[in-house]
Amino acid sequence: MRLLTHNFLRSNVKGTENGYPLNIEVTTINCEDSPLDKSFLLNLLPKVNYPALRTAVQQISQHCVPPLKEIPEQLDVSDKESNQNLDHETLKNLHRVLFDVYLIEGWLVCPDTGRKFPVKDGIPNMILHEDEI
Amino acid sequence: MSNANSSESYLLLVEFVHKHLDFHDAELQSILDMHGIVVGTDCHFLPLPNSDTDTTADGDRGSFQNHSTTSKSKSNSNKRPFRILSFAWKSIGSKYAVCDEDPDSDAASPTRNGGSNDTVNLITALARCTLVRSVMELWGAGPSIDDCATSIRMGSSLRRHREGRHLRRRNIGNTKQNDSTPIKPYPERTWKITIHTLGSTYTRQEQNEMRSKFSFLQFPGPVQMKHPDDEYLFIREVELDAMGGAVYPRHCKGDDGKTKKELIPENDARPPLACYFGRVLGNGTLGRNWRGSNRLFRYSLKKRTYLGPTSMDSELSLIMTNLAQVRKGSFAFDPFVGTGSILLAAALRGARAFGTDIDLRVLRGRSSTENIVSNFKQYDLPPPELVRSDNSIYQRHFRKHLPLFDAIVTDPPYGIRAGARKSGSRRGDGEARPIAEEFRYDHVAQTRPYAVSDVMADLLNVAAMTLVMGGRLTYVIPSMLDFDAEEDLPRHDCLRVVSVCYQPLQTELGRRTVTMEKVKDYDERRREEYLEGTWVNGPQSAEKVANIRERLMEAARKKPGYEEKAAWRKQKRKETKEAKKRAKLEGVGRVAVDSECRHANDDDGRD
Repeated sequence: MRLLTHNFLRSNVKGTENGYPLNIEVTTINCEDSPLDKSFLLNLLPKVNYPALRTAVQQISQHCVPPLKEIPEQLDVSDKESNQNLDHETLKNLHRVLFDVYLIEGWLVCPDTGRKFPVKDGIPNMILHEDEI
Repeated sequence: MSNANSSESYLLLVEFVHKHLDFHDAELQSILDMHGIVVGTDCHFLPLPNSDTDTTADGDRGSFQNHSTTSKSKSNSNKRPFRILSFAWKSIGSKYAVCDEDPDSDAASPTRNGGSNDTVNLITALARCTLVRSVMELWGAGPSIDDCATSIRMGSSLRRHREGRHLRRRNIGNTKQNDSTPIKPYPERTWKITIHTLGSTYTRQEQNEMRSKFSFLQFPGPVQMKHPDDEYLFIREVELDAMGGAVYPRHCKGDDGKTKKELIPENDARPPLACYFGRVLGNGTLGRNWRGSNRLFRYSLKKRTYLGPTSMDSELSLIMTNLAQVRKGSFAFDPFVGTGSILLAAALRGARAFGTDIDLRVLRGRSSTENIVSNFKQYDLPPPELVRSDNSIYQRHFRKHLPLFDAIVTDPPYGIRAGARKSGSRRGDGEARPIAEEFRYDHVAQTRPYAVSDVMADLLNVAAMTLVMGGRLTYVIPSMLDFDAEEDLPRHDCLRVVSVCYQPLQTELGRRTVTMEKVKDYDERRREEYLEGTWVNGPQSAEKVANIRERLMEAARKKPGYEEKAAWRKQKRKETKEAKKRAKLEGVGRVAVDSECRHANDDDGRD
């Protein structure tokens, strides 16, 4: 599971509204470099929740070898104009955290109810149990 | 070619393969549209010679029939496999190029917003059509070979060719090709004329007589049958039947079903439907060669490491990506990803792939070397994103987000080979016993049956919610004979139907590939209204897709010989099971995989 996916996942156990963003508990993590796809990234950025991304990076960073480079503390990604003007280094780092880091084994934890969703073989299991619907 | 002012137009003849007949125009139209080529403005469809026998090929108006009804499958057998596309001559070399360089290169990769300013290489664009057999620069056409030759003399294609127009390198802005390979000048170029006679065979001598009609072209270079620099093509078209054979075959069939050498004089004397002559484009890499295979064989299911009974055959998957206009950099989504066969096709087009499914076993595959990700690795593609989630409650798994996907391509479960499930208790009242915390993480979530009508309603609503404006949803829906595409297709206020293509499967059953485009923004407040408006004919239409499995079994039971067949099948299953058991004991584990492969839909390699 890439951090890109994590950015969109939430917990809605019995309708709780504060199930986003999910906290990440890492068991196994993997990094695989891929070439920067600038136009795709710029297209995607306005849809990303940036604070959630930054929190996620902080939660997993110590498990990564080599450690992840810093991404800016604050970024208003909704502004397409300013996204265009981001420097190459920042774009590369954003690309890396969004696309190149894979959580293979771990847990995604609801910040509200504490419900843990397992991640196995890189696939998060978000299915709600019948008493959580 | 009465409608063309030939000296001012550039004509292309597109030939389709004889399968998926109902998809030909929809796929071609989708590809043209994707490259910003507007039919009626940038190009026109011209009627074929003798086109009064076929209303589906008479110009722009008749060319695209978007909604097929059940009777269409009969009229398809009269559909001719050719289309003539006409471009303004002055647009060639400026807005459009016709370059024989590798069609795999994305020299014409179109951007989503308003097309690209770069020159579009028509060959690269047309090479994307899975159903195109060949494309040629059309020099002449007519209802007979002599008319065809005359029309060449009257046109300007020959003059332009002699001037070496096709030899000038078009400068495509973003091409990766360098210009270092020298082009042979026209007088030295080797050439040959290929004779393509649909549905009939002619002797070498007869073919040479046809060739002699074109000796006035006087190509200066030497003839070379293998890999010539330029290949010219003469096509003799006759009426074809549903199987792709001639309606009036030239030779009679012997008792063994094979064609004998005896001519049927009346048939032999029949005039052809049309004759075409021109220069073959794509350098032998575009479309398919005469044996019907093409580069697509690389993607055949037979070569996949991970397959299941519901894997979509690679040809239809690729066609679906064309209908959905998946391109490099698209974000493609399959909410019922299964074994990932459709998602793989999207990734092959350069898209980023995202798939969800409620079935964990199919997502994880059979082992670490036999799963969706290993299939992607097999083709050197980056791994897809996979999530186990329930599409009926998409908005509970995913936060509210801006429209994200450029294309949604999927084959929803409609209960024939795989039943649809959704989360929740199996108990009738929907109430569930609470699960104690200590059992929570080993608990296997219960799922309950998910009616097909709801599957479709949810699918359309998720599409309306998550597609970007102008994004496309392409899905497959089974339909029996009573299905009326006009009335029974599911609808959504934010989505417009672009095309419906019918594929017959059995006598009683076919499937339709439906493509819809998002034309209106999604309004969360109207959610209930959207869902309720899915089936225009209400429960009636929903019923038609809901119980197909039961209805098929009903119909099969009524047929004579059913009892015997059922008993035979039971016996066969028993034998296979025992063979598997024995093989397992002997340690030969792969037998299990092969017998499942038998069920996968796969007709690659056969034309």
